[in-house]
Amino acid sequence: MSLPKTLLFCIFLVLGFSAFSHPEDELIISEIEQGQLSMQDQQMTAEYEAALKRQRMRRLAAMSWQQRFLLFIKAGIEHIIPKGLDHILFVLGLFFSSLIIGSLLWQVTSFTLAHTVTLALAALGIIQAPGNIVEPLIAFSIIYVAIENCFFKETNKWRPLIVFSFGLLHGLGFAAVLNEYGLPENGLVPTLLAFNIGVELGQLIVLFSAAALFWMIRKKSWYRQWVQIPASVMIALVGLFWFIERTIL
Amino acid sequence: MKKLLFIATIVLLGACQSQQEQTEMQSSENPFFQEWDTPFGIPPFDKIKDEHYMPAFEKGMKENLAEIDAIVNNPEDPTFANTLEELERAGKLLTKVSRVFYNMTGSNTNPKIQELQRELSPIVSAHSDKITLNEGLFKRVEAIWQARETLDLTSEQQKLLADTRKSFVRSGALLNEEQKAKITEINSQVSELTTAFGQNLLAETNGFELILEEEDLDGLSEGTIAAAAETAAQKMDRAETEEEKAKYKDKYVFTPHRSSMYPFLTESNRRDLREKLYKSYVQRGDNDNETDNKQVAAKLAKLRAERAQLMGYETHAHFVLEERMLKSPDEVYGLLTKLWEPALARAKAEVADMQAVVDMEGHEFKLAGWDWWQYAEKVRKAKYDLDEAAIKPYLSLDNVLNGVFETTNKLWGLTFTELYDVNVYHPDARVWEVKDKDGSHLGIFIGDYFTRSNKRGGAWMSSFKGQSNLDGRERPIVVNVCNFPAPVGDNPALLSFENVTTLFHEFGHAMHGILTNVTYGSMAGTSGPRDFTEFPAQILEHWASEPEILKSFAKHYQTGEVIPDELINKLLKASKFNQGFENTEYLAASLLDMDWHTVKADEDLKDADAFEEASLKKIGLIDEIAPRYRSTYFSHIFAGGYASGYYSYVHSAVLDSDGFEAFKEAGDVFDPELAAKLRTHVYEKGSTEEAMDLYTQFRGRQPEIDALLKVRGLDGSSD
Repeated sequence: MSLPKTLLFCIFLVLGFSAFSHPEDELIISEIEQGQLSMQDQQMTAEYEAALKRQRMRRLAAMSWQQRFLLFIKAGIEHIIPKGLDHILFVLGLFFSSLIIGSLLWQVTSFTLAHTVTLALAALGIIQAPGNIVEPLIAFSIIYVAIENCFFKETNKWRPLIVFSFGLLHGLGFAAVLNEYGLPENGLVPTLLAFNIGVELGQLIVLFSAAALFWMIRKKSWYRQWVQIPASVMIALVGLFWFIERTIL
Repeated sequence: MKKLLFIATIVLLGACQSQQEQTEMQSSENPFFQEWDTPFGIPPFDKIKDEHYMPAFEKGMKENLAEIDAIVNNPEDPTFANTLEELERAGKLLTKVSRVFYNMTGSNTNPKIQELQRELSPIVSAHSDKITLNEGLFKRVEAIWQARETLDLTSEQQKLLADTRKSFVRSGALLNEEQKAKITEINSQVSELTTAFGQNLLAETNGFELILEEEDLDGLSEGTIAAAAETAAQKMDRAETEEEKAKYKDKYVFTPHRSSMYPFLTESNRRDLREKLYKSYVQRGDNDNETDNKQVAAKLAKLRAERAQLMGYETHAHFVLEERMLKSPDEVYGLLTKLWEPALARAKAEVADMQAVVDMEGHEFKLAGWDWWQYAEKVRKAKYDLDEAAIKPYLSLDNVLNGVFETTNKLWGLTFTELYDVNVYHPDARVWEVKDKDGSHLGIFIGDYFTRSNKRGGAWMSSFKGQSNLDGRERPIVVNVCNFPAPVGDNPALLSFENVTTLFHEFGHAMHGILTNVTYGSMAGTSGPRDFTEFPAQILEHWASEPEILKSFAKHYQTGEVIPDELINKLLKASKFNQGFENTEYLAASLLDMDWHTVKADEDLKDADAFEEASLKKIGLIDEIAPRYRSTYFSHIFAGGYASGYYSYVHSAVLDSDGFEAFKEAGDVFDPELAAKLRTHVYEKGSTEEAMDLYTQFRGRQPEIDALLKVRGLDGSSD
């Protein structure tokens, strides 16, 4: 039955321009039948966001795997630069920890390994962690590595292990944004792989840029006092701000 | 002195120039002033801003009037080509902006658009008057009309000529000055009364509210309570004084809007409150206050009768029906009375069923109008027992879309390709290219299915671009807008069976808009008479409930299991539920509409109540049912364009049931020969031929009502 569904209002639209001689009537009739539209900004924004995500998902589902692979590499990079400022700071925190390439490599590798594991587990729905716990902890991890940089000239042997556990946290953070972004139903594993590759590329870009800036001066005697420590303090302060923002505010 | 003049001239010129530059700059930014180089000419929604509409309307109307002047002042003798074809070409910009704008007012509005809509309304109607009342233009059309026998016109051209001339004649072109003045006078009174009727009704509808405490909510479901709390919160938001705010604080509000009233009438166990809300609904416009509509309705009917008489028609209904598929009041009354007895008999049986439940519950009362929804629901649960929640998982939006695409593929060989990279006005609006059997482009279909807060309720079809073959092959862009619940989270959207029927219905309108293939755009697609244009939409609904087709698309979204036969049977049986009530309330309103518009100019009309009472007594309407619309809130006929046309819905239903019966008789719901006939004689033809001729060419005979009675369970077969 569709008697009431097709209102006069609709008929006016259907008939085209010639029928618009009394458009004010349609407005009144639809208000009588259905009441006023309640257009509340907050709700409209939420509806629009949800619709955007549905659109992205449809597009994803229609793509070839190569297109999807490239898209998620791009998404992975974007989630570091420019969107993942907290991850950038963490990686920089690692960079300012050591002057020995070997040590830096160990830390970065364990970080990568860790966040790959949790990202995959969370994306596959095996583990779940609420954002209001993960996000402040990520901020805390930034504070921690930065402060440690100020106290120890060289990293201790536990450092890779600590970095690994922080990496687990960051992986959960990536999973949350990836979930908001939308994952395709089919081909989940290659998609995750692509996203991870993107994240790695993003991290490498951050590291190489930092290296390019500071490599020449790393052996100077004032490097620790005037670069390593002040930079770490800055990073720690930003981390502290985020920590407060994410817990209290 | 000379120098001064010279300078003045320079300044003036300069001023002109800078003004010109300014408008040129505006033009270069306003997308309506540019050619659209988008794929398939889809409007560039990302570039269209709210401030572009008004300048485009203004320029569009100016251009349109200049084009009309050029036609009228053409020194050559009037010919079909230099008059009617030029009229077809006129108003391009105005059409372009109107189509986008009026689509947005319905499907993606905002406060700015709503304001523009109110502002534009009188401007646009004044503009259309300038064309329909243009005497010079009518003279040219009339000259061609008089010479029509000698002109060797195609049948489509003859129909365009006849329709165009008729629209001038019906606006009063053949009347003398005195008569014209009288008509203008009546029109302006009608217009005032129409507006007053709508505004009174709006005030009456918004004026009543049932404010309830927690203890008044007995029987109401969680969803209904939440909606009522939301209504109270909104009213509190809008309230201006603290006192008024306090009135709504922590309360629950129900209103005589159907979306608020029906759930309450169905669920509430408080008979006294049901009665209160129901009465507030049926008494709208009939409260003897300053927003009373009794006199307004009577005056309107009388004025319309006078106008019809002046134009040379017996009654207003005669005037209206001249252009419809059913050509006279006799034909309409004939159809409605044939349906009336079976519907009323069924309704009486339903009353008996429900009274039995009332008695069984140990109540002493006689069933009344405000009890109907509650007891109908009880009967429904006992007799039809259809669990919507059990069906929905089989009806994901994507599956249903596949089903409707597949249906048109089997009927006409159409294919649909989704265009993922095309952005339209909202991310929920999806775009498909429609191709014919041979792979050629037919049109663009936009489907905008989910409800949202800036979309009007209901479901409809409209277009962003029309079809025409006048200056090359122009293919249409058509949209379906619905209000299905949006999916929650990442789950797929699951539809109810009613949603599925709606989707097929609107898709039928869309097919009418997309398959159309005529020379002159004004006769394309859905341009035909109102009692015919629902037919192509409604007939497609029948395919949705064919078990064979249902099984092809209704698959469980998680397991892929095909919908079980048992569910299909329940579904089909449930479609006969409450049909006595629905048909009776509808037919009573249709007959009331016909009665109002077959009054003669000299008849003595007192007020709407007495008239309505007599009208309903004549047909023997039972007390438990009110007409779908009583006179004082029958906005379709007194505030809108449905005067003497409310019967259209059931007439189209006769056509679709009778039409689908042809496929049943053929033993194949995709019978190729019938499908081809349906396409060539109905979906492609627009209004290039008389609607009844189109139907009989498809069906091989005139329509009959038996199939409809069977479909609605009014043939005595349901218990």
